[in-house]
Amino acid sequence: MSEGVISDRFGQWLERRIPPSSSITLNQANVFIFPTKVGFGFGAFIGLLIIGAINYQASLVFGLAFLLGAMFLVTILYTFRNLSGLRLELAGARPGFVGEDIEFSVRVVRPSGRGREGVQLGWPGGIPQWAEIIDTEADVVRLFVRASQRGWLEPGRLLVETYYPLGLLRAWTWVDLNARALVYPKPIFEELPKFSTGKRDEGVLIDPLGSEDFTDIKAYAQGDPIKHVLWRSYARSDGRDLQVKRFTSYQEPRLWLRFDDVPGGTEERLQRLTGYALTACRQDREFGLDMGMSRVRIAPGVGEAHLEDVLRELALYGY
Amino acid sequence: MATSRPSGIESQIPRNALALLMVAQAAVVAPHAMQLSPWIIVVCFVCGCWRTLVYQGRWAFPSRAVKAALVVCGSVGVVLSSSGGFSLEAFVSLLVLAFGFKLVEMKSRRDAYVVIFMAYFVVAAEFLFDQSLFVAVYEFVAVIIVTAAMVGLNQMRTRVRPMASARLALSLMMQALPLTVVLFLFFPRVMPLWSVPVPGNTPIGLQEEIEPGDLTGLTQSDAVAFRVVFDDGPPPFYRELYWRGVVYNQFENGRWRMAPPQFGADIHLGTAEQGAYEVMLEPTAQNWLYGLAVPTQFDNRARLTRDMRLITEDPVLSVTRYRLSSAPGARFGLALSEAERALETHLPDVDENPRLAAFARDLYRREGDEQRFAQALLEHIRAEPYAYTLKPPALGEGARLDAFWFDTRSGFCAHYASAFVYAMRSVGIPARMVGGYLGGEINPLSDHIVVRQYDAHAWAEVWLEGQGWQRFDPTGAVAPERVEQGLAAALSSQDRLSLSALTNARFGEQGLVGRLLYMFDSVDHNWNMFVVGFDGGVQEQFLSRWLGDLTPARVGLTMLVLGALCLGLTGGILFLRRRPKSRHPAVRLYERFVARAARLGLQRQAGETPGAFVRRAGLNAGVESALIEQLAQQLEAALYDPDAADDSDAVRAGLRRLALRMTFATR
Repeated sequence: MSEGVISDRFGQWLERRIPPSSSITLNQANVFIFPTKVGFGFGAFIGLLIIGAINYQASLVFGLAFLLGAMFLVTILYTFRNLSGLRLELAGARPGFVGEDIEFSVRVVRPSGRGREGVQLGWPGGIPQWAEIIDTEADVVRLFVRASQRGWLEPGRLLVETYYPLGLLRAWTWVDLNARALVYPKPIFEELPKFSTGKRDEGVLIDPLGSEDFTDIKAYAQGDPIKHVLWRSYARSDGRDLQVKRFTSYQEPRLWLRFDDVPGGTEERLQRLTGYALTACRQDREFGLDMGMSRVRIAPGVGEAHLEDVLRELALYGY
Repeated sequence: MATSRPSGIESQIPRNALALLMVAQAAVVAPHAMQLSPWIIVVCFVCGCWRTLVYQGRWAFPSRAVKAALVVCGSVGVVLSSSGGFSLEAFVSLLVLAFGFKLVEMKSRRDAYVVIFMAYFVVAAEFLFDQSLFVAVYEFVAVIIVTAAMVGLNQMRTRVRPMASARLALSLMMQALPLTVVLFLFFPRVMPLWSVPVPGNTPIGLQEEIEPGDLTGLTQSDAVAFRVVFDDGPPPFYRELYWRGVVYNQFENGRWRMAPPQFGADIHLGTAEQGAYEVMLEPTAQNWLYGLAVPTQFDNRARLTRDMRLITEDPVLSVTRYRLSSAPGARFGLALSEAERALETHLPDVDENPRLAAFARDLYRREGDEQRFAQALLEHIRAEPYAYTLKPPALGEGARLDAFWFDTRSGFCAHYASAFVYAMRSVGIPARMVGGYLGGEINPLSDHIVVRQYDAHAWAEVWLEGQGWQRFDPTGAVAPERVEQGLAAALSSQDRLSLSALTNARFGEQGLVGRLLYMFDSVDHNWNMFVVGFDGGVQEQFLSRWLGDLTPARVGLTMLVLGALCLGLTGGILFLRRRPKSRHPAVRLYERFVARAARLGLQRQAGETPGAFVRRAGLNAGVESALIEQLAQQLEAALYDPDAADDSDAVRAGLRRLALRMTFATR
């Protein structure tokens, strides 16, 4: 087994040994410990010292070899103690898009008392991060996993390891915190489609940037386009009354993002729809989702929460 | 999805570790200045400075070409400065140089580990030269610094607190000590597996060859030659302590030399008494042991030659502890073979000292008998104006014994012994010179005898028909004080001036300084006896006293049990150490409640105040809100309000009731 990847059989065994849980406390039942390559080198080095001591009959060289050997053994306790008692909890997972690094945060809490040094956390495939729990009792470690496909991203078991204090031994465990994050399709950004021009009675959206029909005059407010300012009346009022003309655009207010109307294969359609949804939301337009065959329909709406509902549907299409 | 092991910045050496490594390097290399050529130490320190400059960004790592040049120059330098042959010094020089070079080119954590292992090796190498208590204590500190560097390698790079790393290394070492003692006592000590390069610079002491003037050099040194513990207390008479080591049976060009060893000693014990004693011999790099005549029982590592020398297979490279029994009154070598007679009467074909030979022949003719002739020679020394001095005048080239005997008439023990043996041989009487030490000093604190280099002595042995080899000490004729009381008594005040202040202080014996010196000597002696001298033989003695029959299973099992005990003890210290107690009783009550609640499955959330936690717990367990509100207020008052009346009994009772309710609620 190469470090960082779990083989199937080991995985099954782990499943029984350390069952998934959103919070887990490390103890002798779930922490493994084994010498590192450096540790094996150190052992060989001690052997060399002993051979030298035998050949020179030098008691103090024996003494040094035994001191280092004893230190090696004592380090087992230290290395294990560094993980023992730590509590790991999933603190959160943020959804993201395919191709992005998805953020999971894991809270590491140590028992009060001695600080822990050199504790590393990492998902297989991610970059390990240090948990800073020397002076503080808890730390939230942010771990990122590259999302390669839409749907639920389950990073699997989290590797918690330490080489502290000497690097001769590695104490580690694989914990399953039931972590998962939603991965949305990678958006393809395009002009919003002009399709499905709706009926007037379905509501009117007043677009202040519209330029089609003159409606009325109102007082200037910051942000109004300069080209709509009524300079003439401004001059008449001796610079006191700044007014702007208002124009309105009447548009199809409710945008229906229809799966069946988008070109391309399934994934491509999902990607386009994701792009539309994002754009529509940014433009504050009311939009709904119609997934056609799967009969999922989300009534038109606005706002972040609505966007999340739509994206979730797109992410989990076919799941 | 590639698994990425720590790379890039993760594989760099943290600043903390680098600083500690620099200190460690200086600490482990410094003591080698005693044995190695100074340039090696200098090169090593320059390497340290170089690496520091690299860290500061003011200098670059050496290029490949520079590295190759350094290695070649270093090796050539070692070969040139070592006095021929692959000596231990050359080996250690190479090690120290390699250590310095590796330090300069060290980039990754892996390199740092190599440097750390080499640092431990450099420490071990120092022990091959010196195993004194002082060096041991010093190296213990050095090992802690090296270990601290290793700790630094595994700390976060944002953490730059070398003292904290060193403290951790210290506690690691301290907790490793009991286990170290167990391993030291029980790990089987075996005989050397193969022969190793020995130190090229042999320690001061007697050599295989001497010229009469050589021994005066030894008087300048107060280094310990060996220490002796007699089973029945030290013998009362100083003059009985002739420690034999070397027998010089060949004489050529004014030099005395050992003949190759012959075995098959014949000893006639008769009614002679035997005494047993133990010797702690300091390293000599020679393969002979010192002991009193006539050795009757000795260590199985030694062999007794026909001329009563104890020789060993390998040179004595570290403090060696051995037991001996001697019978001073026993006679030996009663039967002299033709070959032996030829060897022990041989003089150079060309008579080097014709006047002395003529003198001897003349005297022998007058006395007529070996015994009387020998006495007459001693009488001659006694009667004529001969002088005993550490600074004999130069004897010129050729016929040196003639010049000594007739012209300068002043010399050291070896001069007298040489002339005496020469005189004997020139009339055909088998005679030889013996080198060793005479006397020693009794340390009243631990009752051992310490023999120092300035006790070096040479005397004569003459073969007499029917009596075998008999000791004659011509020095006793010129300076009886030397033989009766030791060197100090025999020296003129001028000679004493040439000795070191420390030696003179030792001669003084009285006063605070003298007592302090005795104390140091005692500590050193015990260190040698129980730590440095702890070898296979001593181990067997020691273990069989405690375990009886020494089967491998019994020894191994005892080692395992004791080792596990030590580890268990350390584990106990590490895991069961009490958390610092909160001072305030209310805090303690609350912490106990939190722990109990956690066992019942209710975790305190981060940032939850004690009041909020208690209210939540009460709500979960279904306690009446009025009661729980009262308890929460009492608890918060006890915790935070310094003016509140002491209500801790009520809080204790309330929390206990709440915990009880929670227990029932969870059922």
